[in-house]
Amino acid sequence: MSLLVAKNLRKSFGGVKAVQDISLEVEPDSIFALIGPNGAGKSTTLNLLSGTYQPNSGSLSFNGQIITGLPAHQRVRMGIARTFQKIRLFKQLSLLDNVLAGFHIHHQIPFWQYLVPGSAFWHDWKRCREEGLELLEFVGLADLASQRAGSLAYGQQRLLEIARALATRPRLFMLDEPAAGLNGSEVQFLLQRLKDIRARGITVVVVEHNMDLVMNVADHVFVMDHGEYLFRGSPREVQDDPKVIAAYLGGELS
Amino acid sequence: MASAPLRPADRASLLQVPRQWPAYLVALVAIALLPYVLSTPYWRGILVVCAMNVMLALSLNLILGYTGQLNLGQSGFFAIGAYVTTVLVKSYSWNFWAAALIAVICAGLVGLLLAAFAVRLRGHYLGIASLGFAVIAYQILLNWESVTEGVRGIYGIMPPSPIRIPGLPEITFSNPVALFWLVGGIAFVVYVVVANLLRSPVGETLRAIREDEVSAASLGINPARWKAFAFGIGSAIAGLAGCFYPGFVGTLVPDAFGIVESFTMMAMVIVGGMGTMIGPVIGAIVLTCLPELLRDFGELRLMVYGLALTLVVLFMPGGMVQAGQMLRARFSRASSGASR
Amino acid sequence: MSDTLSLILQQSINGVYLGCLYVMVALGLTLIYGVMNQINFAHADFVTVGAFTAFFVVTRFATKVLGLPDTVAYLMSIVLALASGALMGLLINATVFGPLRERGDELRPLIATIGVSVLLENGQLALFGPIPYQFDSPFGKETIRIGKIFFTQQSVLVVVCAALAIGALYWFMKFTTTGKALRAVSQDRETAGLMGINQGFLIGLTIVIASALAGAAGALIGPVLVLTPFAGASVVVKAFAIVIIGGFGNMEGTILAGILVGIIEAFTVQYLGSGVIDLVVFVLLLLMLVVKPTGLIAERREENV
Repeated sequence: MSLLVAKNLRKSFGGVKAVQDISLEVEPDSIFALIGPNGAGKSTTLNLLSGTYQPNSGSLSFNGQIITGLPAHQRVRMGIARTFQKIRLFKQLSLLDNVLAGFHIHHQIPFWQYLVPGSAFWHDWKRCREEGLELLEFVGLADLASQRAGSLAYGQQRLLEIARALATRPRLFMLDEPAAGLNGSEVQFLLQRLKDIRARGITVVVVEHNMDLVMNVADHVFVMDHGEYLFRGSPREVQDDPKVIAAYLGGELS
Repeated sequence: MASAPLRPADRASLLQVPRQWPAYLVALVAIALLPYVLSTPYWRGILVVCAMNVMLALSLNLILGYTGQLNLGQSGFFAIGAYVTTVLVKSYSWNFWAAALIAVICAGLVGLLLAAFAVRLRGHYLGIASLGFAVIAYQILLNWESVTEGVRGIYGIMPPSPIRIPGLPEITFSNPVALFWLVGGIAFVVYVVVANLLRSPVGETLRAIREDEVSAASLGINPARWKAFAFGIGSAIAGLAGCFYPGFVGTLVPDAFGIVESFTMMAMVIVGGMGTMIGPVIGAIVLTCLPELLRDFGELRLMVYGLALTLVVLFMPGGMVQAGQMLRARFSRASSGASR
Repeated sequence: MSDTLSLILQQSINGVYLGCLYVMVALGLTLIYGVMNQINFAHADFVTVGAFTAFFVVTRFATKVLGLPDTVAYLMSIVLALASGALMGLLINATVFGPLRERGDELRPLIATIGVSVLLENGQLALFGPIPYQFDSPFGKETIRIGKIFFTQQSVLVVVCAALAIGALYWFMKFTTTGKALRAVSQDRETAGLMGINQGFLIGLTIVIASALAGAAGALIGPVLVLTPFAGASVVVKAFAIVIIGGFGNMEGTILAGILVGIIEAFTVQYLGSGVIDLVVFVLLLLMLVVKPTGLIAERREENV
């Protein structure tokens, strides 16, 4: 059974039709790439999937359950996490504090211990910090754990966002142009991390512009153009399809 | 791209549980001894005002400093605490402590209601609604004369009623020392509880909302609910401070609860150091005591506050706490340089 | 014409007159919000500054120093009040909004403007004292009568000025290059910046225009206002309410809402007395927030993620 199913999603802003009639299925334990030239509506689609935007019409289901209309923060509880195209870190907080915020839905502390800490509180405190440090190690930022997030280099900030989102222990992890602004070696590191995430049993959806990343890592590719469905298939099929080539050449070279 | 792995020493320090007992002990001793160090009735009165202002600053800091929501309505919640307690005691002969409890609950509920309205919307709605609330609260105090006596004010208000614990002598609060121990003690408890709350995952949640609501939502945080929560707790604490105000002053007039009061609280939080625990305490103490030391300023006091607030926000947003940290850093650089 | 009908008409006209005053104040607020998502809490104090400027021009400068007749003095005071407002706008942009612009912090500029507001109010208190000042507009002396409806030349002047201001603003926004650039910035700052539009200059210009409007409104509202350094406070709640009801950043909505609030105030004062007006406006505001939070006309704008 598909993990995430979208049917006939539509989204307009004022008069502009950003997303028209998009239907897709994401299979579990795969990496699903959503690509298209600039302005294709990829980010908007991701926002619809994550609940940041609500569709004008269409339906969305996750794990068999309808989630259309569910606000973003509730989708996280169901196991959907995401990162943003424009980096949205908690700049004044340390790296570790950023990641710790991601454990929000997983705390199990009796209410009164928030006011007067007891053993359950400290147990949770330690466990979250250990797990947080592990996540920072996963993205290679552990030695900067107590630094202010705003002081990181751009590529490092992207990785921190990934670590933070992973703290929610998602089933489905969606990334919005994670490679934007990264240099060659950073992209390689990112690719490896995505594969590792998939290996951990987390399904990945990537909106991406960068063809290299997509070809190297994706199991399934979905192409959009001007808000509409263009083509879908394996990376090889997509690369060879004339419509896709035309769309990219006509729009922008990747 | 992978940077060096974490050294075991660094890891251990990050996992270490913070210990605050020493600082808390010092604070308790200070509260016990201060009325004897500053032993004139005048200064003992200032101490009580300090304690109330500390509570107010902490309450505003929760909403403004930690959750990042502009709140200009604290004066209104302070007023609810003061007036509900006083009216219940004077007009309906309630016991002070029962009345105070109800007053605090009232203040918290009103705060929750106000937040529930404005908080689902983005932008500055909450700040403006809080401003409107402060203005309206003041007008209600002025105009609802059957209950509040309006401008004439309520007179002859007694301090908190004595506590009788079987087996112990009666604890009265009619002298300034005992009153300061009461209010100061409550302020201390408020500090400890709020500090615990903000060090817990709740604090992480509120700070996440302050930094970026949209990505906070992407981590499962419901911004509306938590903003309302912070507002409710903050307003309840402001109400708690308000319960002790009339008994201390003896009279109750609406003029003590205008926007100016809200603004003064904001100045305390920001000049002290917004978003830290100790900042508001410092700000409250400094901004309460300084005008007393500079009595001649009088009317210029507010202008100085306004100037201080603007300058701090523009040039040293972390307030006195940030200034202190910078001084300490420079000191340690200087001393390590000298030892070479 | 029956008595009740003429009464209703009278109050409506009073309401429109009041509404025009409020629109001039609120337009500035909504302009600033539209172009940089910020609220200037000192805006209402700019109105007070304008009113004081007008006072001194009318009662001292124009008449005693320059020996001009009353009517010219008053008109001159409007212009000078507008200039004083513009100056305040320039200052606050240079000291607060400009330096903090790049940080992307929403809260700090807000708090800074609160600080400026307190500074202005208490500064004026130190300069002028707490006792209300009073000056009359020479246009308010005679009443014009049409049937059973009374109004003064002042009301006509106010409506004309407001209409002129709004008209000029519209023309500027829709037909000049700078105006169009301004609209671009208010819709999408990032892209506008990428297209080479100088945001800093435009935002500064907006603030100056908005503050100038506030200053001019101060001169027009001066004769009917209790003119103390804290006069702005009485206007600020209504101004915010109008901006919210009309929709943040929405010019048409603000104009509509301003007139609406003016009319409501006229009727409320007539039937309920002047003490409750703030309460009524606030309740209206809360209702608005519950029923249609984005304002009368504004469309739901989802944040650009």
